[in-house]
Amino acid sequence: MHPRAKGGKGGHIVAQMRPSFRMTIGTDPTQVAGVGRAFGAFAEAHKVPDAVRRSVSVALDELLNNSCAHGSAGEVSIDVELQTDRLSVTLSDDGTPFNPLDLAAPDLGLSLDERPIGGLGVHLTRQIMDEVAYQRRSGRNVITLAKYLS
Amino acid sequence: MDISTRTRDRVTIVAFAGSLDSNTSPAAQQAVDDLLKGGATKVAVDCTALDYISSAGLRVLLGLAKKLGGAGASGGLRLFGLNQTVGEVFEISGFSKILAVFNTEAEALKGF
Repeated sequence: MHPRAKGGKGGHIVAQMRPSFRMTIGTDPTQVAGVGRAFGAFAEAHKVPDAVRRSVSVALDELLNNSCAHGSAGEVSIDVELQTDRLSVTLSDDGTPFNPLDLAAPDLGLSLDERPIGGLGVHLTRQIMDEVAYQRRSGRNVITLAKYLS
Repeated sequence: MDISTRTRDRVTIVAFAGSLDSNTSPAAQQAVDDLLKGGATKVAVDCTALDYISSAGLRVLLGLAKKLGGAGASGGLRLFGLNQTVGEVFEISGFSKILAVFNTEAEALKGF
């Protein structure tokens, strides 16, 4: 790599700060709404394309509510980073081991009357994101998401 | 989220503006319940200003469709003006197959 590629003149390294934000919330549903608002403001400030912002907003709503409703978590942290080619999100909670990706996909072939109300959130998240992964790490459930910018 | 309702040719048009998610779906559910209580039998949902929808919002729409009796164009629920993301969520969830979705208000009201 050319030395100047890393920073300014004279080899002094200037960190290329990627836009990011971090929040930690309890599992009160009203706090999920706060994350949605904060993410919306972040996306607007950094000119995240609407389609990316909307998709990530859906995934945040689904996964944070999962953590709040089904998990035994006391707190959830949210890390968002805008990279050159993608928007990355890491959600981490201190609940008992729970991998939402293990949930069976809903039966989308059912008619209106047969359709159960619910059970769609994780399916939506997997489909609407470009990358979704789960890890159990240091006693926490960690979900990483990515949506490509183009 | 803002919710507004109007009537046109005996069809109740309810417009959701903003996001329809876990935070706003209780208000949307309330609005929908009020419409049904008021005797609405044909409802068109105006999604023109709907930014995004999550499964909590889909749940409200599914419940409304069931109460209005039936799927597709013969039922009492029609939707129009979906943006790309909302349309994608409808496709992924299979809702585009069980609900009647139109591009414009005029198309949605035609023959309703």
